[in-house]
Amino acid sequence: MLTSLDPRIARLGLPDSQPTIEPKEALDQFETFEVFHQKKDGTAYAYVGPVHAPSADVAFLFAKEQYSRRFPCTGMWVTPTRAISLTRYVGDTESVYDTLTESLPTHAGAAPDESMQQAEAYARGEEDYAIFHLKKRGKAHVHVGMVRAASPAEALLQAKAAFGEQRPVVNVWVVRWADVLTSDEEDRDIWSTTPEKKYRDAIAYKVQDRIDRFKQEQAASPAN
Amino acid sequence: MYGSASTHDIPANASTGLENEDPQLLAAFEARIARGEKIEPDDYMPALYRKQLIRMIEQHAHSEIIGSLPEGTWITRAPGFRRKMAQMAKVQDEVGHAQLLYSAAETLGKTREDMITDLINGKSKYSNVFNYPTPTWADSNVISWLIDAGAIVNQMANAKGSYGPYCRALERICAEESFHLKYGHDAVVHMATGTPTQRRMMQEALNRWWPPIMTFFGPADKASQHTEILMRWKVKMASNDDCRQQFLDMYVPKILEIGLTIPDPNLRKNEETGRWEYTEPDWEELKRVINGDGPCNKERLAVRRAAEDNGAWVRRALKAKQQAPKYVRPLA
Repeated sequence: MLTSLDPRIARLGLPDSQPTIEPKEALDQFETFEVFHQKKDGTAYAYVGPVHAPSADVAFLFAKEQYSRRFPCTGMWVTPTRAISLTRYVGDTESVYDTLTESLPTHAGAAPDESMQQAEAYARGEEDYAIFHLKKRGKAHVHVGMVRAASPAEALLQAKAAFGEQRPVVNVWVVRWADVLTSDEEDRDIWSTTPEKKYRDAIAYKVQDRIDRFKQEQAASPAN
Repeated sequence: MYGSASTHDIPANASTGLENEDPQLLAAFEARIARGEKIEPDDYMPALYRKQLIRMIEQHAHSEIIGSLPEGTWITRAPGFRRKMAQMAKVQDEVGHAQLLYSAAETLGKTREDMITDLINGKSKYSNVFNYPTPTWADSNVISWLIDAGAIVNQMANAKGSYGPYCRALERICAEESFHLKYGHDAVVHMATGTPTQRRMMQEALNRWWPPIMTFFGPADKASQHTEILMRWKVKMASNDDCRQQFLDMYVPKILEIGLTIPDPNLRKNEETGRWEYTEPDWEELKRVINGDGPCNKERLAVRRAAEDNGAWVRRALKAKQQAPKYVRPLA
């Protein structure tokens, strides 16, 4: 049995030696989901990082723990990595839209108002896609808006028409909105942090007074 | 928290493999880094760049996981409710850092499954300091303060590196580490300015930890073609010696001002050169311990393995329900 100085480890009764383990099969650690957060009300959602999870619901829980535990957050989106389509990456001063050559698919008979347009779009089997831009390499993708399209490729062309003026655009992510799990406005109290957790903030630790007092005592003590 | 990756670098005599790279792509890659642009996962990158980054980020992730074990075991015995809560929050942060880092390494093409297998089988390394024990609460405090301080020196440098996903992860990690550093300092100051017994405990813990701390950044870098290339590619951002000097500059005064002594009679700052002089750390011991013969190597991996084994049925059950049949690496 494994011996340890640490009684808590010794109690586990772990074996002293074990054969090496076999390589794990794929997805033993689950697939990944990409997470976007909203730092405060009214700001755009921005990419924060991935989580590994067995389902979108669990991914949301992990994401909340991982990405909102320590920083302000007012909303979160989670989507499976495999649901994201992306362009290639260009340089920090370029726009990736400039490298898209295909022209936009045109739709005959523009509708007089937006709700008509929407109704027609749904009738054509189109859906909402969320568009994210990366403005600078090493930074995070930010949500710039929604487009309506029948495929990710078409959504990208729609995005070019809607947001193609922006500069620079290093990389674009396109996600079908139906593949995104979003936090609910009604549940917004889940983002409020209890004020009793100050002990996790650097600012809660003020030791200079104690150090100064100690130094004074040392200076005053006859031993010195 | 983090340990120097460079102690486990590619051997200096190994080939850089650059002769196998497309010269045009390589030139564009180097020009991008020289312009100050970051590299993103889908970009062309030389095999050596990919290999060294996987090694570094993976070791960093393992260090976070293994490093949380000696501190985690002190949660239940931490003196007072507030310190238990804080110690718990710190350990949770460290484990979270590992998740961020595993994902960043994954973007380079090594799966998390493989990283975990390599850790448990002893094939991948982690920061060597965690192969030493924490017999008292004061030892845990030394980790919280000084090991994290060393880690921050390293991480702040690496955050300016060239690989986008690693930079994004480090930005978050550094923000959280600022709490660890203050918390650790607070705990050490509390003990060092406390009762004679507390002071003695703290001094003894520092005496135990000083030699591992001095090896934390690894031996002086050998002048090699690899070092030169990795610095140019902004994979390695500062030499091991420079990191150690920076650490001593920042923390020796803070250790001395609370009445602790440093167990190295040769430690002094040479005012002429501006460099710290010290007794040369025992690099043979470092090598021996890294390769498995340290006081806690076996224990750390056994505990990690037990966690892995105990959770296997949960992962199996969840996976059985999973719809996605194909592995996709994270995007950024």
